[in-house]
Amino acid sequence: MTASLALPGVLEGRGPDLADHLATFGPLPPADALDLATRAELTGRGGAGFPTAVKLRSVLAAARATRRPPVVVANAAEGEPAAAKDGALLATAPHLVLDGLFLVAGTLGADTLVLAAPGRLHRAVEPALAARRRDDVRLHASPDRFLAGEESALVAAIDGGEPLPMAKFPPIRERGVEGRPTLVANIETLARLALLARGRADAGDHTLVTRRAEVAGAALVDVADVALGARLGEVLRIDRGVPAVLVGGYHGTWLPAAVARDVRLDRESLADVGATLGAGVLAALPAGRCGLRETARVMSYLAAESAGQCGPCLNGLPRIAGALELLARPGRFDGRLLKDVTRWCGLVAGRGACRHPDGSVRLVASALQVFRDEIRGHAAGRCVARDRRPFLPVPGSAR
Amino acid sequence: MTPIAVWYLNRATGIVVLVLMTLTVVLGAVVRRQVRLPGLPRFGSVALHRNVSLIAALLLLTHIVTAVIDSYVSIGWLAVLVPFASGWKPLAVGLGTLAVDLLILIIVTSLLRLRIPERVWRGVHWTSYLLWPLAFLHGLTAGTDMTSGWVLGLALVCAGAVAVSAAVAWTGRTRAGGRAPAAVAATRSALSRGSRVAVFRNR
Repeated sequence: MTASLALPGVLEGRGPDLADHLATFGPLPPADALDLATRAELTGRGGAGFPTAVKLRSVLAAARATRRPPVVVANAAEGEPAAAKDGALLATAPHLVLDGLFLVAGTLGADTLVLAAPGRLHRAVEPALAARRRDDVRLHASPDRFLAGEESALVAAIDGGEPLPMAKFPPIRERGVEGRPTLVANIETLARLALLARGRADAGDHTLVTRRAEVAGAALVDVADVALGARLGEVLRIDRGVPAVLVGGYHGTWLPAAVARDVRLDRESLADVGATLGAGVLAALPAGRCGLRETARVMSYLAAESAGQCGPCLNGLPRIAGALELLARPGRFDGRLLKDVTRWCGLVAGRGACRHPDGSVRLVASALQVFRDEIRGHAAGRCVARDRRPFLPVPGSAR
Repeated sequence: MTPIAVWYLNRATGIVVLVLMTLTVVLGAVVRRQVRLPGLPRFGSVALHRNVSLIAALLLLTHIVTAVIDSYVSIGWLAVLVPFASGWKPLAVGLGTLAVDLLILIIVTSLLRLRIPERVWRGVHWTSYLLWPLAFLHGLTAGTDMTSGWVLGLALVCAGAVAVSAAVAWTGRTRAGGRAPAAVAATRSALSRGSRVAVFRNR
């Protein structure tokens, strides 16, 4: 679906061999990361889409103000189970990520670099790290928790504590790893900086997405490098029977198939339909699956992944998940359940140290809206699902 | 005040301080585990813990003053703060002095709690579990009453209460990682049964 590019894109790497990397992409010219990010108006690829130049500038300012050398963390933690783009990037082009990391470190004057990735990806990265022969890069094993990639949780884990989000004051850019100003950047953002340094001006206009669909009963999962602004229907295969598409990830939103086919993959167009690109997950719910069942499974996972530090999240998410499980089964359920879920969603958002409850509630709200007819059907004892097999990946769940 | 009255006052305040300090430690465990005392909101437990400790400190002051001015034994003013500086039973009195030093540290850090790092306050506060045994041993060795009769019974009850409090306070916290899955499981079963969902503590 993506046209083959004349020059290599982010995924065109051939693995951890340094010679292959230099043959594919060419040498890394010296460049100022801040200058590159500003000119390309690069936004972060970790899910929040924050302007990278602003982030770089603020860490630089904090470093000058505190007179301490900053720390740069390359975030490949990828806690989102449905996303596979960071893993794919580390496997195909780890040197591109390292190029970006060293570029940013040079601009910020950082003397400590950390590459945070789950243990299962270390095998792909260790040879690449060894080949670069730098003694200031540390490989950190991030756990397979949903919140492991959250900025403050990651910093806490790197400092030896539990991978749980912390209060955002003072911000991580001022006080992060070892109390020093810290830049946490997604590895895709760093890889794109490395491409921009080599003169690939369109590197900032593309983004990696994880596509999930089912074709002839078989699951299809791949990672693609797509242009921002492309039509979703051209990027993801949305067959006729597909009821809805999940955009963003488990903190994203469901879109009805008709809306999904025509929406463009850029911030404004997605915002118009109430969605964001997030972690770049595009999942087309196969025909014959019940979206409520899928959302209920995901929500149980999200509730169990709560850090357990904030009362509203710890109490609210399990209730919403439990109520969704009841709504997902055809049969009689209490008429107040729907009202209760809506009320709980309102009580939980904006009341935590991190955005986990907010994102989870966004998914639930979109599911309740997009699958309205299914809810009515379930209340009457009918379910459209012919297929009970799970579609969205949920770790540790067999249901 | 006759000399013997001074001695009796010293013994009486010693026993009452033992009871009050035990009560303080028990209330400390109550506060830590956020248990609700009947009829009292949770901040009431905190206030009770604080006030009982301050009353104990006042009575302790009486205990110390009567010990020093008692002409029968030579415990100088220096021995109030410097351990093992007493003329009479230096070891036994010294244990009490150590307990007093700790108590002063705990009270001062608690009064200055907002101005000092939380870790410092917390670290000093935990030494109350060292303070209590020191005071207890002081009562056993320097005192005359704790080894027999109803006072012995009282002392054993107090020791038991502190042991239980220590166990409850030290082991009470669930690890952050385990709270959410437990909450999900409990909520799921409660909702499917139609019963009230519990409230889960985030500490």
